[in-house]
Amino acid sequence: MHQHILRQAQDDSGVEIAPAPKLGRAIVVTSGKGGVGKTTTTANLGTALAQRGARVALIDADVGLRNLDIVLGLESRVKYHLLDVLEDKVTLDEALVRDKHSETLVLLAAAQSREKDEVDTEKMRALVQGLRERYDYVLIDCPAGIELGFKNAIVGADEAIVVCTPEVSAVRDVDRVVGLLGNRFKPQLIINRLRPQLVKKGKMLSVEDVNAILRLPLLGVIADEPEIIITTNRGEPLALRHDGETASAYHAIAARVAGEDVPAPSPEFKESLMDKLGSIFGGKRA
Amino acid sequence: MAGRRIVITSGKGGVGKTTTTANLGAALAKRGSRVVLVDADIGLRNLDLVLGLEKRIVFDLVEVVEGRCQLRQALIKDKRFESLAILPAAQTRDKDAITESQFESVIAEAAQNADYVLIDCPAGIEGGFRNAVAGAKEAIVVTTPEVSAIRDADRVVGKLNDRALPIRLIVNRLRPEMVRTGDMLSVEDVCEILAVELVGVIPEDPEVIDTTNRGEPIVLDPAARLGIIYEKIARRLEGEMVPFTSFDSQGFFGKLFGALKAG
Repeated sequence: MHQHILRQAQDDSGVEIAPAPKLGRAIVVTSGKGGVGKTTTTANLGTALAQRGARVALIDADVGLRNLDIVLGLESRVKYHLLDVLEDKVTLDEALVRDKHSETLVLLAAAQSREKDEVDTEKMRALVQGLRERYDYVLIDCPAGIELGFKNAIVGADEAIVVCTPEVSAVRDVDRVVGLLGNRFKPQLIINRLRPQLVKKGKMLSVEDVNAILRLPLLGVIADEPEIIITTNRGEPLALRHDGETASAYHAIAARVAGEDVPAPSPEFKESLMDKLGSIFGGKRA
Repeated sequence: MAGRRIVITSGKGGVGKTTTTANLGAALAKRGSRVVLVDADIGLRNLDLVLGLEKRIVFDLVEVVEGRCQLRQALIKDKRFESLAILPAAQTRDKDAITESQFESVIAEAAQNADYVLIDCPAGIEGGFRNAVAGAKEAIVVTTPEVSAIRDADRVVGKLNDRALPIRLIVNRLRPEMVRTGDMLSVEDVCEILAVELVGVIPEDPEVIDTTNRGEPIVLDPAARLGIIYEKIARRLEGEMVPFTSFDSQGFFGKLFGALKAG
């Protein structure tokens, strides 16, 4: 099936892909707190899913403060945006930007010089529904906060991934967002920016600490790596690679999202990173 | 004379608005100023956590606006700094629970008995942002040296310019070693893009996560490098000419001073 998809996507018509046999999944990536890594997660998860052959559409729902285009390195290719589509100024196909790295990945950028209250909630729902007919995954990058932008980002989604950093303030915000989402979205958790050495010193919340409060199915744990800042600034998602801890972690998350039975992330993470760090520091505890 | 009202904003979330508000407020209070910190992030409050005051909240901003209590009843005094108090946001309400003019009048009242009112703005540019800005006469924009944060900051600077607010800039979470290797934008780059007056540069420091989690502003530790930096920012806000701390980056701050003098 994946080969079939790839062959079709190679067609010059770009986003004109045959309708999917069944509806794709619409997943909102949210957090409450800003700066915890929603956009980076959306870009990398989308890339990792596309690398598996899935057809993926990413929607930047952060009207006025868009960034997903930058993280994907597509900012100079954005001609039209979400509001142009919602307001029927252009067709969806005209607005979708084809990713330069992954053939089955497309982006619908947010409007930069518009406001979030200009989004029509019902039209947003219909737009996501339309994309689900053509893509295996629709990932919606939610803005920070729980105002209108949040409401419009979740309206078309049927699942949620919540991103949280191991900080008390982020945990509190995620807790609030999970409460607002309710059960309908079956929220799953990604813990981002973990620093195992700080956890070891007792200076950072551990994966267990965070999830003792949130109690959500854990999709994955991503370490705090300067590489993420670098790849984000360059517009080349780390998940384009297949080597290294962090890239592998994104691919494992994509596999879990796709329903594969990948070993639980937390112990795997501890073994690979904590033991390595332990050996570097000679097992010394600070 | 009523105190200065300064909004701490950024556009992008997670760049350090709340940490900056808490530490700058503590630094100003340590220098003897009367400081009120206002958490404008209704529904997602965190300033109380960063200051370790979450258990002492009785009333909040929305209750003050709704007339359920007096402002002075809602203010929580920080026991570590005599002249520092916070006005917490409501956690279980929405940002549209108050209007811009209601927020503005609470801030004006707070400024009657304070030298500084620092307003911790929520992320984004929606209603919460508009409220936070409505109460302010000056702004501090916090950004990190990342393309996405700078783009958001630029959008916010535009919005603040529309309201004719004087703007100062804090560059947060700088990693000098990454600047040297060309993997991070320099302070100079950031200043050039945003074209606003620089008031502070704060290096990335894992200690901040820990002190924030424990509710102890880093300014409390007299030996902490970041504590000293926040105190310098406080002095610059008060109008003193204070040299910028060097992070061992050659030629980097020399150029910066040139740019500042030129401005």
